[in-house]
Amino acid sequence: MTQPYMRVEKLVKKFGPFTALNEVDLEVYPGEVHALLGDNGAGKSTLIKILSGVHQQTKGDIYIEGKKQNFRSPREASAAGIGTVYQDLAINQLMSVTRNFFMGREMTTMFGHMKMDEMNQIAHDEMLKIGIDFSDPTQAVGTMSGGQRQTLAIARAIYFGAKVLILDEPTSALGQKQQMEVLKTIKRVRSRGDIAIIFITHNEIHSKLVADRYTFLALGQVIGSGSKAEIESQDIRRLMAGGAEMKDLEQELANL
Amino acid sequence: MSDRSEADRLKRETLFERLVRRPEIGSFIVMIFIIAALTLASDGRAFNALGTKNNIAIIAQFGIIATGAALLMIAGEFDLSIGSMIGFAGMSMAMMLKWGLPFGLGEATPFSAFIITLAMTLTLGWIIGTIVVRSGLSSFIVTLGFLFFLRGTTEVSFRLINQSTQISGLPDYKETSWFADIMGGEVFGWFYDLWFALGGNINRKGDQWVTGFDARFMWWIILSLLAYYVLSRTQLGNWIYATGDNKDSARANGVPVNKVKIGLFMFTAFCATLFAACQVFDTNTSDAAKGNLKELEAIAIAVVGGTLMTGGFGSAIGVVFGAVTVGLVANAVFFIPWIDGSWFRVFVGTVLLAAVFANERIRKRITGGI
Ligand SMILES: Nc1ncnc2c1ncn2[C@@H]1O[C@H](COP(=O)(O)OP(=O)(O)OP(=O)(O)O)[C@@H](O)[C@H]1O
Ligand SMILES: [Mg+2]
Repeated sequence: MTQPYMRVEKLVKKFGPFTALNEVDLEVYPGEVHALLGDNGAGKSTLIKILSGVHQQTKGDIYIEGKKQNFRSPREASAAGIGTVYQDLAINQLMSVTRNFFMGREMTTMFGHMKMDEMNQIAHDEMLKIGIDFSDPTQAVGTMSGGQRQTLAIARAIYFGAKVLILDEPTSALGQKQQMEVLKTIKRVRSRGDIAIIFITHNEIHSKLVADRYTFLALGQVIGSGSKAEIESQDIRRLMAGGAEMKDLEQELANL
Repeated sequence: MSDRSEADRLKRETLFERLVRRPEIGSFIVMIFIIAALTLASDGRAFNALGTKNNIAIIAQFGIIATGAALLMIAGEFDLSIGSMIGFAGMSMAMMLKWGLPFGLGEATPFSAFIITLAMTLTLGWIIGTIVVRSGLSSFIVTLGFLFFLRGTTEVSFRLINQSTQISGLPDYKETSWFADIMGGEVFGWFYDLWFALGGNINRKGDQWVTGFDARFMWWIILSLLAYYVLSRTQLGNWIYATGDNKDSARANGVPVNKVKIGLFMFTAFCATLFAACQVFDTNTSDAAKGNLKELEAIAIAVVGGTLMTGGFGSAIGVVFGAVTVGLVANAVFFIPWIDGSWFRVFVGTVLLAAVFANERIRKRITGGI
């Protein structure tokens, strides 16, 4: 068994009197997709905001390659190799693919002169590696499809050193075909073998298609976790509903 | 089907198609139209030796402040204090030259008057920018406050120190000061020498008529080239676009959004000061009303040049075309005697509206709306 790249132990997050996360454990391994599942309000976004330095935990610890490390800012998290792709993607529509790719981290020579040709080439090559052959990196992002934008944001995070790639509901706002494109992208990143992916979704089928490991959250607590082999597909459905039996839910609905 | 990739869906464009799709194309066409119309209506007098010089003089004035206004607009903010800043800077320089430096520092030279004034205007730009980014208020309202504040300060200072709101009859510093000469003197004399040598540019007596352009022509060229280079080729340019497009995602990627904005408010203050310096050292006069309405003209030119009101998009070349267009129309009354000068504003208003619609179309096309 390889060592987890990142390990989270007994993480607690309180917003005043409200306990958003209660003693959450999580392990992510390089080359694996770890699906983080749970109902609305379960605490998924809160967990990844702590992992990416946006929030600080109330209690508990984060270990990177066995070393204890707690993030006080997004900058510290990204320096430790945590790359987060939020739902809004942090992409600017009016700007070109290349300008977005290098936004805030431009390659420059003296006086801030950008190495435009080199940057165009890198943006093109990095996107190609995970699945999009974009012939014109000077094209504005506004003209790209939702799936292509996801790919851009993912390629950017990887190029700038992400070892843990966190994707917050990357498929939720997309049509069928583009959802599949994003899943393919996830698979391609996975097959590199050196990057751990945390994949948040509400979609049971999507998680089954790409995940190697699962963690289920309900009301701020882990109610089930394990590798693909350990978790039966029946379990997935039950755990996603926060531990309730499907039969019970059906009954409840019927009674209305 | 299977060997089709996403890249194939993007049609390869010819050079011509690319040019036509550039955001500056609208302002370019309007500019060509105006040049042609003015040439015809004035029997070519608008572009004889003196006409060219006078046209360039006003075009360069417009261009200098519009460049500042456009960069700031691309970053998503407005500066309505440009006109009042021009009045303030002109007053400050002229007053120091007439009454000496403040705090008993003795006689002012054109250079020391300019540097001290620039220090003040840059500080004002920094204050305006800091208020805007710290308060989160709209720059429209903050700079509107400074429009009144600075104009009032200028008038009050004039009356308190100088008793009159005008200064005239300063010595011609261009004779004695290299600095006054590069601000208010003449440049590119070789152009008019060449014109004379080729048999044009002759006055009634048969001598050379015009000897050079106003120095602000050079400053406008320098400023425009700089703006073009910064926007298209530098990290700072990328930050300016990113800030105006979506400042939250720019910030999330590590762009120092606030610094960019504050820096650009200081840049518009710099442009206003340059404008004032060229004026003061050219005419050796100053007046509390100088620069009135210039902020609105600067914004209008930036928009005519293809800059988006909502930020994130615009080009320095477009602003050059916009300045030429508006400058020529402003001057048209001198070359076409039968025309009523107020048509200038009718024209600018019309072109401005047309430009806003055209820009909106461009924005929709880029963001996938069309
Ligand atoms: N800043 C905050 N202050 C107070 N409560 C918060 C804050 N952020 C989140 N919460 C609460 O914490 C709980 C977990 O929220 P979170 O956004 O992590 O859920 P989620 O699992 O991501 O849900 P979804 O699937 O809807 O995105 C919610 O009840 C939410 O109201
Ligand atoms: Mg969420």
